[in-house]
Amino acid sequence: MRQSPGARRARTATAVVLGTALAGSLAIAPVAAQGAEIEYAIWGDPAELTNQIALVDAFMAKHSDIKVNVSVSDWDAYWDKLQTGLAGGAAPDVFAMDGPLFPDYQSRDVLLDLQPYIERDSFDLTALADAGVQHFTTADGQYGLPRDLNVVALYYNKAMFDAAGIPYPDDTWDWAKLVEVGKQLTIDQDGDGLPEQWGFYTETTDMENYWSSLVWQAGGDIVSEDRTQTLLGSDQAVLGLQQLQDLIHTHKIMPTPDLFVETGDAFEQGMAAMESNGSWLVPTHLAAGIDLGIAHLPAGPAGKATSINPTGLVVAKSTKAPDAAWEFVKYIVGPEAQTQLMQLKAAVPVDKSVLAGAYSTAFPGSDVFASSIDFAHLKPSFRGYTEWTTRLQEELDANMFNAPNKTAREAIDSVLPELDAILAQNAAQ
Amino acid sequence: MTVTRSPAVADAAAGTRARSRGGGPLASERKWAWLFLAPTLIGLAVLSAGPIMATLGISLTQWDLLTPATWVGVGNFGDLLANDRFWTALRNTAYYTIVSVPLGMVLALAIALGLDKAIRGIAWIRTMYFLPLVTSSVAVGLVWLWIYAPQGGLLNEVLWWFGIPPQRWVSDPFWAMPAIIAMSVWQGLGVNIIIFLAGLQSIPREYYDAADVDGAGRWSRLRRITLPLLTPSIFFTGILSLIGSLQVFDQVYVLSRPRPTEANLTLVYFIYEEGFRFFRMGSASAAAWILFLIAAALTIVYFRSQRRWVHYQ
Repeated sequence: MRQSPGARRARTATAVVLGTALAGSLAIAPVAAQGAEIEYAIWGDPAELTNQIALVDAFMAKHSDIKVNVSVSDWDAYWDKLQTGLAGGAAPDVFAMDGPLFPDYQSRDVLLDLQPYIERDSFDLTALADAGVQHFTTADGQYGLPRDLNVVALYYNKAMFDAAGIPYPDDTWDWAKLVEVGKQLTIDQDGDGLPEQWGFYTETTDMENYWSSLVWQAGGDIVSEDRTQTLLGSDQAVLGLQQLQDLIHTHKIMPTPDLFVETGDAFEQGMAAMESNGSWLVPTHLAAGIDLGIAHLPAGPAGKATSINPTGLVVAKSTKAPDAAWEFVKYIVGPEAQTQLMQLKAAVPVDKSVLAGAYSTAFPGSDVFASSIDFAHLKPSFRGYTEWTTRLQEELDANMFNAPNKTAREAIDSVLPELDAILAQNAAQ
Repeated sequence: MTVTRSPAVADAAAGTRARSRGGGPLASERKWAWLFLAPTLIGLAVLSAGPIMATLGISLTQWDLLTPATWVGVGNFGDLLANDRFWTALRNTAYYTIVSVPLGMVLALAIALGLDKAIRGIAWIRTMYFLPLVTSSVAVGLVWLWIYAPQGGLLNEVLWWFGIPPQRWVSDPFWAMPAIIAMSVWQGLGVNIIIFLAGLQSIPREYYDAADVDGAGRWSRLRRITLPLLTPSIFFTGILSLIGSLQVFDQVYVLSRPRPTEANLTLVYFIYEEGFRFFRMGSASAAAWILFLIAAALTIVYFRSQRRWVHYQ
């Protein structure tokens, strides 16, 4: 979703006008939530759960009249439970929402419009990262707020750079430099054709980890603004996708993805010198004892670009305690909770004051994520995203990345009609 | 479509048949049979029959779980037949079934014959074979992922000693399904072994004694006495394995990272994906009914064949 800042402003302005009109018709009395009990559902690992529980406890300490129960699931089970809960009238009151999946829920009318509450409390949305807020803005309201941001950057292993006497990656880096240094850092000591140390690593099974950024860096885009057309067939987009295949199969600085699919991240295991991946991996890499450096992603032919994807907080339309739910959402996106949230180093805060303040010095490289936001593109989101991306990745993984059966052009051309059919089907509903 | 995989049922299938030769069970026995079946039957009626019938209704609608359903008649069935992924899933499920059912039964039979001996510690050995079955699929999947890992995985390491180059067991389209079959067969052996053991132990000694007198060798004893008298158990494990393999899901779910490919997408995974990932409960229900009809048809054919090869004592 490539947007000029102008387009962003225009959309926000429309939303504000519409929101104001709505608030006028729906008068909401400023009542405090009395003795409410709400359920807050998240996905995540034990460390994230611990962190979220700390947030919830801090909230309850301030709001003794509201009790918040946290329920956690793994990624797959989370969506199964959420859907059946929503269908069966037992949905959590407040729940985490993955950026790309938001339209699938919002368009089905199961989320509460927060605009009236924002108006009532004169809540200042400009305090939050614009891209994050905008992601949950629709033509008729604000159906969620960003809880934290996922930003993609270049991780590098300082020890490996030092050992090779190579300067660390910096803002002058482009695709060619990545390949050049990647080759120097790909080391096959025993000469069996399988390097013990790879120059580069990334995950290829989701656009967010790297390839969406490559498409944007090449000047291409993923889907059209109106979500009716897949734009991956443009020469620029194909150039971006081709770059990832070349890193694996031409330059051979990156392992084929299936080599690490069972054992996980090669960078985390100390088997790769660089990795393009999301901000959520910082605690993982640190825990693995990696001598971690963080830099902006190398620039492409059309300049710098990276991916930003907000994890949102949304409120179920069916909630019996909307006021309590709103109080809770408001607290979580506020500076106090955001400062607590970033302690885990996994989440880039959404509050601008925390982002520019405490977060920028939270750990070496945190400022890289903060400043990446300036040239970041929102991860695309639309109805039918899961089916669209499943079909697309099946083609890319099997025929471009794991095995170079097809060029980017051939792979994209073979799957494009199906992708557009999925978009059309979802737009029609 | 639930089948209770209980050794006790196997015992009943292999054992009580022997006593009821000629007539059916006695009236008093029949009463007890119904009584013991009651918990399962009531559970099926209350917990399964309703949802199963509901899916029939849902299969005739377009429903995304979250907004009201709209009636589309048999449209979902037509869409499925025109859906390449559905056919891929059907083909992969057939591949899985055709290979894993015979393979699992032959291996289980061979092991059961080996375990049907009164040696020291036999109970422990038998228990060992049953362990994979009571281990969670996810734990089993993680161990097998390590066995199959392209680098440093157990299987590739062992093959390397014999000069065989490392393979991508899980992601290579050629190996993807065999890898899942191998894990499933290993995991499922225990059930069939237990049933076969029960069957073997219900074969009266006298037959073997008589065969000895006639000078029958090991092979002809196996062919002429053991196998024919074991056919009720073979029949029973066959039906369990058949239905179970048509429903294969866990193994695919845990072994295919991060998601199944065209080489190992199975029908139940397809159903799960349609319903819970692509917001098409109607289509998922329709696919479930097609699977049910296939399973029912195969079961009927299989039951009909019973007359020709199953020998009840």
